[in-house]
Amino acid sequence: MKNTNKIKSTSELKKIIKKQKERSKSDDKTKLIVSAGTCGQARGSMEVIDSLNKTIKKEKLEDTVQVKVTGCHGFCEAEPNIILQPHDIFYQHVQPEDAEAIIKETAVNNKILDRLLFTDPASGEKPKSEENISFYKKQKRLVLGDNVKIEPTEINDYLSIGGYGSLAKVLDTFSPEDVIEIVKSSQIRGRGGAGFPTGVKWGFTRKAKGDDKYIICNADEGDPGAYMDRSLMEGNPHRVLEGMIIGAYAIGAHEGYIYIREEYPLALNNIKLAINEAKKRGLIGKNILGSGFDLEINISKGAGAFVCGEETALIASIEGKVGEPRQRPPFPAVEGLFRKPTNINNVETWANISLIIDKGPEWYSQIGTKKSKGTKIFSLVGKINNTGLVEVPMGITLREIIFDIGGGIPGGKKFKAVQTGGPSGGCLPAEKLDLPIDYESLTQAGSIMGSGGMIVMDENTCMVDIAKYFLNFLRDESCGKCLSCREGVQRMWEIVNKITEGKGEEGDIELLEELAQAVKDASLCGLGQTAANPVLSTLRYFREEYEEHIRKKKCPALVCKEIVSAPCQYTCPIDQEASVYIALTARGEFKKAVDIIRKENPLPTVLGRVCHHPCESNCRAGEIGEPIAIRSIKRFLTDWAIENDYKPSSETKPHKKDYKVAVIGAGPAGLTAGYYLNQKGVQVTIFESLPVPGGMLAVGIPEHRLPKDKLDFDIQNILNSGITLKTNTALGKDFSIQDLFDKGFNAVYIATGAHKPMKMGIQGENKQGVYQGVKILRLANLGEELPLGEKVGIVGGGNAAIDSARVAVRDKNTKKVYILYRRTRKEMPAYEDEIESALEEGIDIQYLVLPKKVLSKNGKVTGVECIKMKLGDLDESGRRRPIPIEGSEFTIELDTLISAISEQPDTSYLTPDDNIKTTKWDSLIVDENTFSTDQKGVFAGGDAVTGPSTVVEAMSMGKKAAQSIFHYLEGKTYSPEYKISRPSMYVEPVELTEEEIEEAKRPEMPKLSVKKRHKNFKEVDLGFNEETVIKEARRCLRCELETEDGKKAIGGEND
Amino acid sequence: MINLTINGLEVKAEEGWTILETAKFYGLEIPTLCYNEGLSPYGGCRLCLVEVGEKPNTKMVSSCTFPVSEGLVVHTDTKRVVQTRKMMIELMLSVAPNSKTIQDLASKFGVTQMRFKPRNEECILCGLCVRMCAEQMDAKAIGFQNRGYKRKISTPFDVRSEVCRHCGACMYICPACELRCHGPNPDTNVCNACLTMDPTCLDTYDELQCWMYDAGRCGTCVREEDEKKEASQDSNKK
Repeated sequence: MKNTNKIKSTSELKKIIKKQKERSKSDDKTKLIVSAGTCGQARGSMEVIDSLNKTIKKEKLEDTVQVKVTGCHGFCEAEPNIILQPHDIFYQHVQPEDAEAIIKETAVNNKILDRLLFTDPASGEKPKSEENISFYKKQKRLVLGDNVKIEPTEINDYLSIGGYGSLAKVLDTFSPEDVIEIVKSSQIRGRGGAGFPTGVKWGFTRKAKGDDKYIICNADEGDPGAYMDRSLMEGNPHRVLEGMIIGAYAIGAHEGYIYIREEYPLALNNIKLAINEAKKRGLIGKNILGSGFDLEINISKGAGAFVCGEETALIASIEGKVGEPRQRPPFPAVEGLFRKPTNINNVETWANISLIIDKGPEWYSQIGTKKSKGTKIFSLVGKINNTGLVEVPMGITLREIIFDIGGGIPGGKKFKAVQTGGPSGGCLPAEKLDLPIDYESLTQAGSIMGSGGMIVMDENTCMVDIAKYFLNFLRDESCGKCLSCREGVQRMWEIVNKITEGKGEEGDIELLEELAQAVKDASLCGLGQTAANPVLSTLRYFREEYEEHIRKKKCPALVCKEIVSAPCQYTCPIDQEASVYIALTARGEFKKAVDIIRKENPLPTVLGRVCHHPCESNCRAGEIGEPIAIRSIKRFLTDWAIENDYKPSSETKPHKKDYKVAVIGAGPAGLTAGYYLNQKGVQVTIFESLPVPGGMLAVGIPEHRLPKDKLDFDIQNILNSGITLKTNTALGKDFSIQDLFDKGFNAVYIATGAHKPMKMGIQGENKQGVYQGVKILRLANLGEELPLGEKVGIVGGGNAAIDSARVAVRDKNTKKVYILYRRTRKEMPAYEDEIESALEEGIDIQYLVLPKKVLSKNGKVTGVECIKMKLGDLDESGRRRPIPIEGSEFTIELDTLISAISEQPDTSYLTPDDNIKTTKWDSLIVDENTFSTDQKGVFAGGDAVTGPSTVVEAMSMGKKAAQSIFHYLEGKTYSPEYKISRPSMYVEPVELTEEEIEEAKRPEMPKLSVKKRHKNFKEVDLGFNEETVIKEARRCLRCELETEDGKKAIGGEND
Repeated sequence: MINLTINGLEVKAEEGWTILETAKFYGLEIPTLCYNEGLSPYGGCRLCLVEVGEKPNTKMVSSCTFPVSEGLVVHTDTKRVVQTRKMMIELMLSVAPNSKTIQDLASKFGVTQMRFKPRNEECILCGLCVRMCAEQMDAKAIGFQNRGYKRKISTPFDVRSEVCRHCGACMYICPACELRCHGPNPDTNVCNACLTMDPTCLDTYDELQCWMYDAGRCGTCVREEDEKKEASQDSNKK
């Protein structure tokens, strides 16, 4: 039987509290505490509760097992979750079908279900109980912690944890002035955002003239991504009420309002129930607990306007007027609701009051920083592993919240910024991670505490887009009264929107800044005064990102649709219109597709095999499933062109001008530069030191990846267009740069690559049997004998290491091939499918191993001494550092050791007269826009400038250099033109059947069987057939059609 | 009486006065647009902004709604005030470049550029008409609708109001839709032809010819285009 009688005195209340405490202590039932706040319910906790109850009934365990339906436990990521007491077990992602196992095995037999435990994203550990989970460990859950202890709809539950005890204490012992003194000395500040000292505010209202006074609880929580107030109202409404009753007593108010948004049905329901219950028990109403103090609490529902969180607008809304702010002074403490003195506090502030009374202001003011006391609840959302509500002491650093409690960024991505304080807050960058959080520090850093929203962003977030998002929110939510806020925010949004569309102009940033300052200064209320923060803070910390958008028409995070168009084309260094040739392929129009490829790419057959395909890495289809196999589609098309003898036109371009250019190095950069210069009618001669053209393509990539005939096809096409090639002619040995000018060349392009191997820097590196990866690859490619023994070890984790290993494994002498890499497979820079192929071929990849010393006997290698590594803490890049494990040295027996760690350019051919500068890594220094060296008429590019890079990057430099050189020849100054990315044509999209969409999947590359690869250099990847390639091409999402131009071009059918 | 200082001047004000009322009483000019003596103050146009408080803790408030208090320190023309005011005029101008009232304000306060895309609307949401209708005509036929950038003035449910008596007071008081600027319409949408700080009208009329004896102030005369002169004025301003 429930006791529903009115409690008539504080002593009676105290007795009841004591009784309830004993009741809960003596209750030895096993409790299944289910988190059932709005978010838990959204993820199915009601079904779980249902299923648990049914199982209990079925198993006839009603007397020993009980389900408790509580509010939110804070850990949204783990919803729906269950805490088992007294077992102290935390289960996450519980489904209705888990009910039986939980009850039968855990509740009855104490057996832990491993699969339901939380797995730590950083360490991989599976802690059993709540307090051992990283998410909860660093929190201080003074306010939120009670949510798991009580059913919010049960006042007795609240009483059983000492609830309303503070009220009894206040009525028994303190005068209203005492209470205000206590709250003042606790130094608690308003949790709604501005941080005004609560006690001082109460004092103002108490002192204000007039008998009728009001208190208001501001539960109009409107920030996107913030829900701590909702969680409190849902999970512990009596606590908010208790705070309000104590506050009303202190202030002298006899009527209170809770202003809560209509969109919070569960919170609304629970607070209503709580008020009714409290009324029944005499905790609200006339003569509360016999003290003579009266208080009524009403609920006022808001319709969801963000501005109604501002106190004067909120008051207007309760009064039934339009929710618009008004001038302060007069402050609500003097003239508020119905023009009477009114005290407004936020939900979280009210919820802290009973705690302060209970434990004392001294205890409370010990927590936190000098000026900000107590704990603060943040809703930690966005790109974060452990999404949830976190309650932490003031002064904790952002790093602790994001990386220790939040578990870091998902997918190993890099942290970029954190947005605090909701739409009016600001974005703080990685440099601010160690900032101790309090009201002042956040304001100083350009953000605000706000009500405690905390949105984490990773490297895939565009900060201009974020500013646009918040401005869009604010231009909607501004009440519209002040010109500055209404028109200013709208205009800021227009400018930022223009920038994200790639239409930004010089002066936009300055105008934004000027406008932002004016909006901040001129607006009436807090909304307007902080509305510029998203712009000001992103400009403060990410200005270069705005500049990239405006000047270079680039969105580094690939977010802004109108700039990026199709990410495959956008990220391609040579501007290949991937989405166009994919679309043509989907329609079976292979000739047109090949034309599109050849338009921007003189080495298509090569790139179809060995490109590092940034297009695929950034493919939007890859965000939700697997990226389109773009490289394989290209390979199919280029092979199709060879098979069907579809050659590019080989007619020699007439030499319109009498310009002669010498290109040094026939690698991808040199060939591309030569090709494009020749296209412009320039006479090109390419000098190559090796006997064959192709550079690293010819001598660095083994034949099983890039067959010679395919490489030759592309090179011949380039040469056939009228370029002269001189092999076995080396700069520095056979000629000098001056010689070229003497012979009548007008300009020189140096693209000599990076062929000089870097040393490992370990003892014994010069012993016989230690080779460089580049040398082994060169010998293999030129068809010469390899000096390998039976046991070969390769040091490194890049493509050169894998290539060397796969060459070694094919050599007739070898029996065992190792790769030694200091990190794990996840961090390996080599292509994933290459690693896979290496493993198939029996190569033993040893991870977390660092060679320390080459062991030798009689000058010959006998093995290598290594040390084991372990991965340490996450660094800021989100990757874990390798650290040597002391005393873990071990030896691997070897007769050959190949070092394939990295290469650098060999520029020993330069003489002081050349007047060409190099970096300390021996790479050539060029102007970043014109690719010109300090010497007039001498240009450079490719790996010789960048150090070892990719084929397509080298080609991109060659292509741009050709432009720059041609300008130079014409006597014009060259400055690169920046445009938003757009395809040259829009292909009508294909219609997919339901079935096709259902089955759409990236096909596997067919490969030569391991047996057939044995000791030979046959190409391993076999390529797709026509049917597969068309099917794959049809899977493309056609991002380029989502721009305004794209929509227009295909008649606006695409949405 | 309440003692306060405005621009360093010690002044006295009646209890309940606003800063604007006090300044007016002392003949100190603060520009206004949504303010009208016969209507309740609104504080929407933000033109009458002044800086209150002592450095570094000053803030900007609309003087038409801010009540005076003992010891208040007010500055009406600080750099911050002037800059913000200019931005407010520029914003208004971008909404309704055809309003003569706003063009005049632009001229008077040296707003020589308009960097936003003009919208050519006939309303700047100053709310004068709404207050006029409610407070003077006692009709309440019109009011604000929506929030933020969707805000507009209309009758309830956008249908013909039964309480509207077609008195025309709303139009009479409107600074945007009634009095149109018929001056030159340059690319920048900033007219600046009349009422500039320089006596531009004198290019065309001398003081005696001006029928209001207020050459360069009233805005009825339109300066003839004299590009050379304008160019030299521009460089003087810089």
